[in-house]
Amino acid sequence: MQRKLVVSSSPHLRNEGVSTRRLMLDVIIALLPTAVASVWFFGGAALNLLLVAVITAVAAEYFYQKLTKQKTTVSDLSAVVTGMLLAFNLPASAPWWIAAIGSVIAIVLVKQMFGGMGQNFMNPALIARTILMLSWASLMAANVLPHAGQWVAAAGADAVASATPLGENPASYSLWQLFSGNIPGMLGETCKLTLILGGIYLLVRGVIDWRIPAAFIGTAFVLFWIYYGTLYSVESGSANVLYQLLSGGLLLGAFFMATDYVTSPVSPWGRVIMGVGCASVLFVIRVYNPSYPEGCSFAILFMNVLTPLIDKLTVPKPFGYVKPAKPGKGA
Amino acid sequence: MSLFHVFPGGIHPREGINGKAVTCALPIEELPQPSRVAIPLLQHIGTPCKSLVVKGDKVKVGMMIGEPVGFVSAAVHSSVSGTVVDVQPCILANGLQQPCVIIDNDFKDTWVELTPVAEPDKLDGKAISQLARNAGLVGLGGATFPHAVKYSLPPDKKVDTLILNGAECEPYLSADHRLMLAYAREIVTGAQTLQHALKIERVLVGIEDNKPDAIEAMTKACENDPTFTVTAMPTHYPQGGEKQLVYSLTGRTVKSGGLPLDSGVIVINVGSSHALYRAVYEGRPVVDRVVTVSGCVKKPANYLVRIGTPVEWLLETSGGLLPQARTLLYGGPMMGMAINREDIPITKGCSGITALEKSSALENESNCIRCGRCSSVCPMCLVPSVLDKLMRKGMYDEAERQGVMNCIECGACTWSCPAKRQLTQSCRTSKKVITERRRAEAARQKAEEARRAAAVAVQEEAK
Amino acid sequence: MSEKKNLRKIFMNGILDENPTFRMVLGMCPTLAISTAVNQGIGMGLATTFVLVFSNLVISLLRNIIPEKVRIPSFVVVIATFVTIVDQLMKAFVPALSQSLGVYIPLIVVNCIIFARAESYAFKQPPMASLVDGLGMGAGFTLALILLSSVRELLGSGTLMGAQVMPASYHPMAIIIRPPGGFIMLGLLLLVVNAAVKAMQKHKASRAKEESV
Repeated sequence: MQRKLVVSSSPHLRNEGVSTRRLMLDVIIALLPTAVASVWFFGGAALNLLLVAVITAVAAEYFYQKLTKQKTTVSDLSAVVTGMLLAFNLPASAPWWIAAIGSVIAIVLVKQMFGGMGQNFMNPALIARTILMLSWASLMAANVLPHAGQWVAAAGADAVASATPLGENPASYSLWQLFSGNIPGMLGETCKLTLILGGIYLLVRGVIDWRIPAAFIGTAFVLFWIYYGTLYSVESGSANVLYQLLSGGLLLGAFFMATDYVTSPVSPWGRVIMGVGCASVLFVIRVYNPSYPEGCSFAILFMNVLTPLIDKLTVPKPFGYVKPAKPGKGA
Repeated sequence: MSLFHVFPGGIHPREGINGKAVTCALPIEELPQPSRVAIPLLQHIGTPCKSLVVKGDKVKVGMMIGEPVGFVSAAVHSSVSGTVVDVQPCILANGLQQPCVIIDNDFKDTWVELTPVAEPDKLDGKAISQLARNAGLVGLGGATFPHAVKYSLPPDKKVDTLILNGAECEPYLSADHRLMLAYAREIVTGAQTLQHALKIERVLVGIEDNKPDAIEAMTKACENDPTFTVTAMPTHYPQGGEKQLVYSLTGRTVKSGGLPLDSGVIVINVGSSHALYRAVYEGRPVVDRVVTVSGCVKKPANYLVRIGTPVEWLLETSGGLLPQARTLLYGGPMMGMAINREDIPITKGCSGITALEKSSALENESNCIRCGRCSSVCPMCLVPSVLDKLMRKGMYDEAERQGVMNCIECGACTWSCPAKRQLTQSCRTSKKVITERRRAEAARQKAEEARRAAAVAVQEEAK
Repeated sequence: MSEKKNLRKIFMNGILDENPTFRMVLGMCPTLAISTAVNQGIGMGLATTFVLVFSNLVISLLRNIIPEKVRIPSFVVVIATFVTIVDQLMKAFVPALSQSLGVYIPLIVVNCIIFARAESYAFKQPPMASLVDGLGMGAGFTLALILLSSVRELLGSGTLMGAQVMPASYHPMAIIIRPPGGFIMLGLLLLVVNAAVKAMQKHKASRAKEESV
């Protein structure tokens, strides 16, 4: 009897350490410390929002795919990542239904309707955040003061309203407060320590390319340095480089949002352009448009839309590329 | 001495217990001859040979049974002594039928009279090219490009470097590795002969650093010749790809669509160098080669196999496939062809038979997530994810513009794809379609010209 | 009898098969701009219908007189006349609505629906059919505007025709009555309507098949 042999096209080996699911799992692992930090600083409200966002995102993906008779891809965990990122872009004071609506918008409207995984042209979590911001500006205002660790006792008793660090009258926060995350802000934006840890994890695991975060943060550093001229001083308030880098969604955006595979360029130089572009638009919005104190999401969305163009402009030259003898002949 | 250059992209596929370690310590054994061989008349890139035998003819080992036809061709010789049963089409590893000479072995192993070259030092380019053609020398690394063509240098091209390819970057295979250990002296002598005949200044030997014993053996074998340099190259797939190897050792880039020759380099495999030595100093044509049998077989080994031996025979000698074997490969796991029958004969380009447990065909493709891994590992700096999309949409012209013809089908993109997409296959399909279109276009132009010429002739006649 | 049936078919054509908004995707500019409140939707729809009916009628009557080469300028003159009439009438009788629709009333002059019907229908068909076609198209446009604007007003302001409908605890989703919300809602409505039409056609086809068997 002949044994059954499978015939397939080469290569016959695959890198078993890499799969979409594994990559998403790595992102989730990288986001976990920040999730823990957000619960530490903002209490049970943060946990609620995280759970609602993640569960709704997964359910939305599952039911949409069932409804449209597609193969369900919930197991690739990408919906979990979207849900977490969305929750990170909500203030602790946001009601639970905002998280749910945001997740449905992100998954159904932005991701699935454009063809599902890998087909959306803008970052789902960021679009959802933007739509929520434009819809319920007052509910989305990040003005809940953190009450680090005391939430068990206080249980949300004294949520003191206060301006965000980038608001029109910036309250003064020490560098350590900015870095550790003991400031008002969106859930996942405040704790820079865990964001940087997560970013380093992703870089070490090779999940994200260093070019986008490096170009993003580097360009932002240079631009704010030129504009403000001071690295850091207490009296300058928010008008210095470190204050700008450590406040708002810059680090969350640089490590987790701008590096989203689907909506960022593929080529190495394209990724540099992406980072530089994000930082430049962010700089312009922060400096010249006081009505939107936080421009990170708009900056990234703006560059998301440019991604196909960037990719087209930066197609790498094949190894041993020779210029066609007569340029324009092939056109 | 020479600076080492790292080519772009590349991967590190599975090594260790499932890879070369299985066979790299096993010396070459001579495989018992099979009772019947099927020798294809086309074992090289180019025109098939013309059969010189008919049914019933008696043949001896080393007798030419296929005569080269045209410039890009190489002779085919009988690998056993016995009687020709028939000349008939058989299915080869690529699934296509090719005429094969089928010979029943009389197990006497009587050889034709071998006449070594009298004065090897006096060989010139033309003579060595003719010798390679008659001895059936082709690229034994797998490309099977006739060496007669490789050795005939156009007068306007200057070649200053000969590269001996001992990289053997393909996982599992250790045929070249063992060959270098067993015949280092012969390989070097073969290369020297070629070097003198073609007046090449230097010889670079490139070996991946996972074969330290081979590096040592080769270094020792050529220590008296200052024109030789043995370089230990990092283990980095596809290090043994011609363009990658040239770049690694010389820093020269082979131009898109060009040959290493254009950059002043000739690349030959260590196995080919060994075969050249035998042809020159022993007068012996290519009738056997070293084949690694590895993976899910009972007894992995490196065999010296007569050309035309069926795969079945190799497996049988190795104790057969293990029950978990699902895929049988003609070659290594990265570039080898999957076969579904065991009666396929070993040809000159086959360096291994690998049996694998899992089949990559069973992996489900999912959507591309644009992670860019394929593009960052592509040794030719292409963007396979985009080429894949273009192929699936039938946009072959755009794929051609984006350089799909540069693809060397190394498989690095598919290997590294988290969505498990068949990127290499897409590039292969595009290349095939584009080649066919070009051929059709050329044929159309030729017909057009002929028609025009005929019209002109008619007009002139009318005058 | 058959004449009547035919006119009915022409009328329904504008509402269903060739609905200017959902099937032809024409006249998007006013659709997106004014569909933030139901009363605006109705006002815009009726104004457009008025212009559509009379321009179709007049162009159909003049179709044998207007030279082929200058038909577009002639259409503009006819359409502009009726738009001016509507504009003046609305300013006189419904000043508040006229104010809220603003520039979009004069802009009816360049509304694609009116041009398309003049060019592709009224210029080639008899007056009666053209008039009914204008009515049908106008009704289709008005219905589409009412549908879109009521969804937008309901979600975006929590009201319908200015009256609070949603419970007081409802937080209106402000983006729906902003321009991006217009695009999103129009897209979603297009999806729903086209899916419904497809399902209907499938149903019809399967019934026809059953009957034939």
